[in-house]
Amino acid sequence: MTENRRLLDIIGNRLFAIPFVTQLWSRFAARASVEDASEQVPFTPLRRPLSRCRVALITTGGLHLSEQEPFDMSDPDGEASFRMLRAKLPPEQLTITHRYYDHRDADRDPQIIFPLDHLRELAERGVIGEVAPRHFGFMGHIEGRHLEILTKRTAPAVAEMLKQDRVDAVILTPA
Amino acid sequence: MCNRSVGLIARVVEAVGIATVSISLAKELTLAVGVPRSVFVKWPLGHPLGEPHHAAQQRTMLFAALHLLAAAERGGEMVEPGYRWKRETYGEPEWSQLTAVATRSQEPKDPDA
Repeated sequence: MTENRRLLDIIGNRLFAIPFVTQLWSRFAARASVEDASEQVPFTPLRRPLSRCRVALITTGGLHLSEQEPFDMSDPDGEASFRMLRAKLPPEQLTITHRYYDHRDADRDPQIIFPLDHLRELAERGVIGEVAPRHFGFMGHIEGRHLEILTKRTAPAVAEMLKQDRVDAVILTPA
Repeated sequence: MCNRSVGLIARVVEAVGIATVSISLAKELTLAVGVPRSVFVKWPLGHPLGEPHHAAQQRTMLFAALHLLAAAERGGEMVEPGYRWKRETYGEPEWSQLTAVATRSQEPKDPDA
């Protein structure tokens, strides 16, 4: 049973790694989407030049530190909690818990979902002002009742911490 | 799914007054969610910035994201740089171009406008 499920996961993930399949599914999911697209899209203009901005990262690729609790893979609807990733994290501790995409490449090089090293270098070069002290990892498979937990509780909690850290801009990466 | 989750989080963060830019790997879904700013590439899931250990490619995507961050004028803007998966040659982005965009968007608005 477990073995069958693991195989199904692998087959599904390989299939979804084909961009054409992803886009087909995306079209379907957009139609079935619960969100009201006519609703106003929030917009905050960048307050200052990039060279003075404090920038943070958020990824939904299931990234966390090995010492942190892994994301819950037992609920088929996923979960909406997050893991705080400090700017001075030990890179060798970065790990991914996410059953719903093929993360072998991201395991080899987390920069493809969490470009903290690039961000640091951009700050050193003065392209951005500075790297924020705290970044955040979610596991993006969030369905059913967890969607409301995300939009009402965990995402607002992260937004509040970003405000406390006086972050000007955030780059978000899916998996 | 990840691309929807990114969009929902981006909306919440943007709404508290912080500018966001999201990478999208699922175009229609990102448009349906109403993501404040997005850079769409038709690449495999799990590779928003590209291939592992391919620094120039990863930085090119970061450049596109930062450029949109400064240049966007309204919510819901999506740019499509059109990079083909594993069929492009990437160089170091012209980072100085970002300064120009940022300066333009920071110019004081015409008071009569």
